[in-house]
Amino acid sequence: MSLARLTRPRQDYTYAFLDAYAKRELRRRILKAIAIPGYQVPYASREVPIARGWGTGGLQATLALVGPQDVVKVIDQGDDDSVNAANLRRFIARFAGVRTTTDALEATLIQSRHRIPEEILGRQQVLVLQVPIPEPLYRVEPSYAQARELHAEAEYGLAWLDLYEALVRYRTSTQGADYPVLVGGRYLMAPSPIPRWDTPKLHRAEHLTLLAAGREKRLYAVPPYTEVRPLEFSDVPFEVEDQRGWIDEALGVRNKFMTEIPLPDGSVRYRVSDTGYARKLREGRAPGPTYFDDTGAFYIAGFLAERRKLGAKGKSQSEKPM
Amino acid sequence: MGYVAVRGGERAILQAEAFFRWLNGKPGMEFLRQLEVHLPYLLDRVMGEGSLYAPELAAQAIAQTGGDLYEAVLLLRAYRTTQPRLAYAEPLTPEAMLTVRRISAAFKDIPGGQVLGPSLDYSHRVLQPEEPPKAPAGPPAALHFPRVADWHRLTGLLPIAPPDPTPPSAIPDLTREPLLFPAPRAHRLQALSRADSGGVLALGYADMRGYSGAGGTHPTVNEVRLAYAEVRLRHPTTGAVFSAGRVRYSQAEVVTKFKEVNGKPGLELGFAATLGWNEVKLIAAAMLDAAMNRPDGHPAHQEEFVLMHTEPVEASGFCIHYKLPHYVTFGSDLDALRRARSEEAVE
Repeated sequence: MSLARLTRPRQDYTYAFLDAYAKRELRRRILKAIAIPGYQVPYASREVPIARGWGTGGLQATLALVGPQDVVKVIDQGDDDSVNAANLRRFIARFAGVRTTTDALEATLIQSRHRIPEEILGRQQVLVLQVPIPEPLYRVEPSYAQARELHAEAEYGLAWLDLYEALVRYRTSTQGADYPVLVGGRYLMAPSPIPRWDTPKLHRAEHLTLLAAGREKRLYAVPPYTEVRPLEFSDVPFEVEDQRGWIDEALGVRNKFMTEIPLPDGSVRYRVSDTGYARKLREGRAPGPTYFDDTGAFYIAGFLAERRKLGAKGKSQSEKPM
Repeated sequence: MGYVAVRGGERAILQAEAFFRWLNGKPGMEFLRQLEVHLPYLLDRVMGEGSLYAPELAAQAIAQTGGDLYEAVLLLRAYRTTQPRLAYAEPLTPEAMLTVRRISAAFKDIPGGQVLGPSLDYSHRVLQPEEPPKAPAGPPAALHFPRVADWHRLTGLLPIAPPDPTPPSAIPDLTREPLLFPAPRAHRLQALSRADSGGVLALGYADMRGYSGAGGTHPTVNEVRLAYAEVRLRHPTTGAVFSAGRVRYSQAEVVTKFKEVNGKPGLELGFAATLGWNEVKLIAAAMLDAAMNRPDGHPAHQEEFVLMHTEPVEASGFCIHYKLPHYVTFGSDLDALRRARSEEAVE
């Protein structure tokens, strides 16, 4: 028996980088966030070795949860191979020793910037969304201290007014991504800048969604099977992006969220934003069921209002790109 | 198609880093040592904002980032946060520190005397100066000085502050707890201490110029100090207090004019302190501290505005994050814009 056999090899960093105190704090905050769906839990938010504002909140949540058995997927704007996604994946794999994947259904832990995968996630999965601005009221109330009081009193009149003013001024909601939602009928929540296409996917989802803002030091959650409803007036329903008629020519796919790629002659072509999903199609592997089917129908019937008909003049999509 | 669509994103980022290192070369140990010796104010700034007093590591961070100070601060912070808390230092009193420079603008002379110490304040700002001026050394200044504010307290112009009985380990710690508003005073002083020098200066200057309906606050610099301070620790078993090392430390105090103190007109104190010597930042920060005690419409007089927007790691990180692809969010915005431009929106 030698001494060397009794010791472990030297490690300069603890498993998954964060020290035990940081992990303990994060796990406690995560539990609190799950217990109060949609409520922003303040946390210390440690510096991590990537730039602030580049997913440090999501990374802390991921590092607090990850274990050797996990399979991790990291995406940025839907893309597994985007440089920042590649960098985060490299970091997580390096410090947690986990296997990584681009398959949304194989992953146990998915860290994402601004997209929810197209395939329906299941109960064994955790989705961590990176959040730049966690406060849904920031457009109408710049002070966090004031906004916290408004949340405490469920006083969301200003948010409704904001929505109403857009209708008066533009006759339509002007909110692009990060469309505000009401969670569990109680807390107004910023779902992070996911496109409106992804917003309904949070509703009664089987998976757990954690949302973490590193810079702003707020962490919140949508536990499985939670009601998540976009703010909408009963006579002016919430609508996802209108991409009807958009086709990814390379894959022959429509009714999945598309990225618009401008071409030199002024025209555009479309590519499926979810590269993991696209990869399955390209490689001839059968993808799992998706939130939106091939006709664009959402998987929970009746949750989304009937789409408006294409414009009377039929020009909404034929208008030249701006 | 740009950098996002680059396949093999991982290979691309490795090459980008290798290119950066190739362009800037690998600094040797001698260079790092030279940085420590000849650019102490640069190290002080990085250590102050990084809230980690470690000259060797600061020099390493500055060299490793090619002198990109925001990156250097992030390196120190990311290292610092992994380190355990082994002990808490004893409180440092102004009387105990080894003061090398100590000036007051409030009085011509002060108890203990004005001590210019090392300063470029009265140098001629010409490039390539000749040999430094030779001046015969005067009698050595004292090592320890009373605080100017004590004179104000003695004369009733400032309220007497009873000693704070909180043990060092129980002081709220900004690096282990979230910053909430209204912030505990400890959090405010810690945030100012590690705030971005340029950011604090910009907001402090806005306050000094009085860019608000209410006009400027025009405080007076009561005392600025540069000092060396012993980091005094209590031995865990014997209980004896010993010095674990010496750090460069600076602090500034300003007094406002004409505030109501205990029902009578009086002065109010603004205070800031940091690791390293950084006078510009501290004067601005002390003025902001005083202004934040009496918030009004001026953004620089509001704690939340000042502390949230002068955090160097967060501000710089968020700024450069705009380099990341935003095509999904932009696409979603375009969709909303196109709908608003079409004539078929809600009737």
